Amino acid sequence: MDASEVEFLAEKEMVKIIPNFSLDKVFLIGGDLGPFNPGLPIDVPVWLALNLKQRQKCRIIPPEWMDVEKLEEMRDLERKEDMFTPVPSPYYMELTKLLLNHASDNIPKADEIRTLVKDIWDTRIAKLRLSADSFISQQEAYAKLDNLTLMEINTIRAFLLDTLNCMYKLRSNLQ
Amino acid sequence: MPCERKPMRYGHSEGHTEVCFDDTGRFIVTCGNDGDVRIWESLDDDDPKFITVGEKAYSLALKNGKLVTASSNNTVQIHTFPDGDPDGILTRFTTNATHVAFNSIGSRVAAGSSDFMVKVVEVSDSSQQKTLRGHEAPVLSVTFDPKDDFLASASCDGSVVVWNIEEQTQVISWPLLQKSNDVTNAKSLCRLAWQPGMGKFLAVPVETKVHLYERGSWDHVSTLSDDLLAQPINVVSWSPCERFLAAGCVGGLLTVWDVNSKLCVERQKHEKDFTVCSLAWHPSGSHIAYTDTEGCLGLLDGLGTSTADNNRTKQVAAKNPAKDYDDLFDDDDDRLMDEGLSDTKSPAKKAVGWDDDDDDFLVPATGRVKNRGAFLDDENSLDTGSLKLGQDKLGDDDNDAGSSVAPAAAPVVPLRPVYEGPVPTPPQKAFQPGSTPAHLTHRFMMWNSVGIVRGYNDEQDNAIDVEFHDTAVHHAMHLTNSLGHTVADLSQEAVLLACPSTEELASKLQCLHFSSWDTNKEWMVDLPKGEDVRALCLGQGWAAVATSTLMIRLFSIGGVQRELFSLPGPVVCMAGHGEQLLVVYHRATGFDGEQALGVQLLQLSRKRRQLISGEPLPLSQKSYLSWLGFTAQGTPCYVDSDGVVRMLNRSLGNTWTPVCNTRETCKSKSDHYWVVGVHENPQQLRCIPCKGSRYPPTLPRPAVAILPFKLPLCQTTTEKGQMEEQFWRSVLFHDHYSFLSSSGYEIDEDAQNQSQKEQQELLMKMFALSCKLEREFRCVELAEMMTQNVVTLAIRYASRSRRMALAQRLSEIALEKSNQMQEEEQEEQEEEPEYSSTRRSSGYGHTDVTAGGRYSRRQNQQEEQEDEEERGEELMEEEDRQEMEPEEATETKKRVNPFAKEAGSPIKPSPTPIGKMGRANPFKVPGSGKMSASSGQPRVTNILDNMTSSKKSAQLSSSGGKPSKSPILKPLAPKPKTKTQSTLLQMAATKTANKKVQENTEQAANLQKQPDTPPPGPPADNSENKRPKTGFQLWLEENRKSILANNPDLEETDVIKEAMGRFRTLSAEERLSWTERAKGQSGDAADLKKRKRAEGGEGLESENEKAEADESSAKKKSSLDPSSKLSVFAFNQN
Repeated sequence: MDASEVEFLAEKEMVKIIPNFSLDKVFLIGGDLGPFNPGLPIDVPVWLALNLKQRQKCRIIPPEWMDVEKLEEMRDLERKEDMFTPVPSPYYMELTKLLLNHASDNIPKADEIRTLVKDIWDTRIAKLRLSADSFISQQEAYAKLDNLTLMEINTIRAFLLDTLNCMYKLRSNLQ
Repeated sequence: MPCERKPMRYGHSEGHTEVCFDDTGRFIVTCGNDGDVRIWESLDDDDPKFITVGEKAYSLALKNGKLVTASSNNTVQIHTFPDGDPDGILTRFTTNATHVAFNSIGSRVAAGSSDFMVKVVEVSDSSQQKTLRGHEAPVLSVTFDPKDDFLASASCDGSVVVWNIEEQTQVISWPLLQKSNDVTNAKSLCRLAWQPGMGKFLAVPVETKVHLYERGSWDHVSTLSDDLLAQPINVVSWSPCERFLAAGCVGGLLTVWDVNSKLCVERQKHEKDFTVCSLAWHPSGSHIAYTDTEGCLGLLDGLGTSTADNNRTKQVAAKNPAKDYDDLFDDDDDRLMDEGLSDTKSPAKKAVGWDDDDDDFLVPATGRVKNRGAFLDDENSLDTGSLKLGQDKLGDDDNDAGSSVAPAAAPVVPLRPVYEGPVPTPPQKAFQPGSTPAHLTHRFMMWNSVGIVRGYNDEQDNAIDVEFHDTAVHHAMHLTNSLGHTVADLSQEAVLLACPSTEELASKLQCLHFSSWDTNKEWMVDLPKGEDVRALCLGQGWAAVATSTLMIRLFSIGGVQRELFSLPGPVVCMAGHGEQLLVVYHRATGFDGEQALGVQLLQLSRKRRQLISGEPLPLSQKSYLSWLGFTAQGTPCYVDSDGVVRMLNRSLGNTWTPVCNTRETCKSKSDHYWVVGVHENPQQLRCIPCKGSRYPPTLPRPAVAILPFKLPLCQTTTEKGQMEEQFWRSVLFHDHYSFLSSSGYEIDEDAQNQSQKEQQELLMKMFALSCKLEREFRCVELAEMMTQNVVTLAIRYASRSRRMALAQRLSEIALEKSNQMQEEEQEEQEEEPEYSSTRRSSGYGHTDVTAGGRYSRRQNQQEEQEDEEERGEELMEEEDRQEMEPEEATETKKRVNPFAKEAGSPIKPSPTPIGKMGRANPFKVPGSGKMSASSGQPRVTNILDNMTSSKKSAQLSSSGGKPSKSPILKPLAPKPKTKTQSTLLQMAATKTANKKVQENTEQAANLQKQPDTPPPGPPADNSENKRPKTGFQLWLEENRKSILANNPDLEETDVIKEAMGRFRTLSAEERLSWTERAKGQSGDAADLKKRKRAEGGEGLESENEKAEADESSAKKKSSLDPSSKLSVFAFNQN
């Protein structure tokens, strides 16, 4: 699975926008959206929000967790705990990237948020590597990791599987 | 000692915070780590005044309108109070001052500092300073002896020192405290307190106890302690009555001791266990304000009354100490006390012309009381609690006594105003609805459904931003605000701005008419000299400005001056929508916190008129107006400061109905919703949630939230209450259609019909609910609100649930309604020309809901009626199915249950009641005359017949089966046959044996006729009874004689029974032949019937029926939808 595919999936997440146009309900395969009233917040999928934003048709309201204080708290918790802590959104990394890239003017303290999310991400990836390492070094048959997001699994999957295959071959050659 | 702990609220940023009351007790004054001094009118004050005194404020003291603060720039400053103007620097230290205190008369200030020094400074002349040196560590706190001779201070070196101020020497020093190197490291702030009045005791918090030292001898006389006190006491404070001592501890515990009895009378815990770092008694002694180290402010209320109670219960205990006190009194004390007190006298007192007296009564008071028993104690302290000063003036000795027996009375009494009547409320200032207060540097000047106008007024910029929600209206604008505009309004056409007049410049009105098609997009008007803009608003094509000269000036949107008129009072605010102008003004002076507002609603269309002429505007108690406007559909509404949204109910004589209380949805007490718009369709209250304030900040940009409406009806938790609420809300929120159509606007008829459907549906549901609850009277009441069509449904429902009496009443209502409708129709036709608009729907002004509803229904009656019936039917069917179940269980296979049949085929979109009627039509031949074979067939002509017969049967069943021949009522709404069916089927079921289903129904039907047959029927009956007969009837006719011959003693019913038995024994062929014969006769029967109807000739009705009969005889077997028939009927009738 590609990172872009994961991002595509993340685009289905809902986000609040404040449109500056008026439009009746739109009927889409995925469900009805609208009606859009200027100045009135409404939930739309990220892909639509970004599209509207690029056409300057709306203001995006960042998700509740995209807040410096909450992220700081999360980062500290993530650093403190050995296990993976629950993340605010299964697509936190993708959403942060998408929203900050396209709508950073609507998000207060965008730079800090970017840094914080990167911190959280780095911490988690480090944990992931660490657990992969101990998994291999202890030659365990299986391991359980909670609270991983799709993107995180995706980053390590290709490498880990290949490695395991390779190691398996090497070991079977040994015998 | 019960007292109420009010919830804490945010006061300052976290850190050491101090609190005190002003002399009158009107304000709570706090200072904190953010360097601000805040002046709160009450704990709920969301917008306190603030004075910035420095980067941090360490301590404050307030007396005689002088506010002394110790700030981080190592100075002790004076500000005036309550204006907050700087009044010079009192003294400086080399580091910051830690505590400041006034002496009892406010002439001197003592300040302790971290540089180990204590300074005493004359307030009037800061050059007169006395420095007290001797501490070897930062000074923690200072306090004056009330007689001004001594000063006590506590220091981090562990000592508590009493100084002689004049000689600047230490009188005594106690090593009581733990040593520390700085105030921040000290375990306790050790705020000392000297008993007010004669200053007998000095209270020193030492660890978890309070030591009391006696003035003069400096002996440690007693210790106040409490078992619950586990952590050091930070601060102590004497009540103004000198009797109670309050202490706040590190762990957040608040304790109050009665010093006389040394008993702890009150314990309260801080809600979050934060350290209490300051506390202050209200001058009346009734409550204590306290602050914690997190910057929060709290209040303990209800102490005043409880102290009185306490006095009563501890009468005996108080006796001895009270006497001791008396001995302590001397003239000096009294003089001192009076001096101090007269300063704090409130102006209200003087207004009564009383000021000469109070000195007189206070001085003798002390002397006189000495020999009075302590049991006066009780009475006096009660008086102090209930503010009865007027009696003192009359020379009531007993009351005067209070000042000395309980020393409490003396300092408290003079603070109270004498005037006891209602106090006028300061009238609320003019404001623009949807704006935040003008004193803010960044504020919303207008937020409405069109867009946002923001004003910036800081050092860099004085500008106005205009932004539109819908960018299609206009692009955003940025204007420099060189004129200093303070009020603004925004519409789809223009931005209107106005500034107040200055010394040189007149008040100006500026309009940015961006929708203008010419090149000049702007105009400006100067108001006459001395006239200031107070409020303004924009409508469609006009602008209105209310000025300080109680005038409203109208302008066209292009800048043409139009009408002007005077207002009866100063304007509060205005709102415009379309051609309507809504003005709220001060009608009179309000009292006791109430505002007296009046409202005018003007129609500025071609035909100008005043819809509401200055009626009082209802507000919640002690609240003021906070928003005024129109819904998007043009109904006036407003919000008061209690968060109650009220909307104009035009159908109830322009009254105001509360539709929502925004405070109910608030999580915390200091949260509010700032309303920005109201929509009736969809029902939305658009507002901005504000945490801890009344107004949103401009940044971060607030987001709009939507609140639902809810009429404050009773018991909305019950199903009944819910439905009632929904119904009336629907009625109220769709009232605008009638207004809009009557004033000639296009209306969305679909939406209107939808809403009426919804209302009728709700009525039907309520009806069903009342039916279930056996509330038949209520059912009738509900039916009165229904439209005629729904009443017919209700009748059907009632009959199915076997409520014959109800069904009968309902049919009367149906009749009434149709008559009414007819009359209205005529009236309307007469009235119609009077309306300026020729729209058909101009008649919507009816106050009667149902009338309005019915009227509109007429427009598309045919379609609507059908599907409405369907819906109703489905609804009933569902309920019926449930009710029928037990019956079916017992009687399955014995007979055909017509309901069961229906229930079995719910796919059928419109169940045809005709079919049902045809299937079991037992009353067709009450006289049992000629028979016809086709009675089992559905016949449209039967509708009215059924009605009459069902009526009869209703009477029958209710009056114990007595046949009655009352004149036949013909309700316009045809009564469904179902009622009779259900009862009769039961009877039939008992008799009929297991036979073929089809036959059974037939026979059952025939059986029913029997009991209903009144042998001596009026002659008219004969003709009426000429109906198609069944095969059995024909057979019976022929064989009756033979049966009678065989069994001469049989009764009529028994004859039928016997005949039934015999008929059944016949072979299938024979029976068929009888049926054939019966069919052959049916044509004649129908003809007969027609003739009869024509004779009966009841005007239109019978004619209609005839038409129907003709039609139906043509296609007898086709089961026509009865409702469509009925609608034709109803329509023709109109």
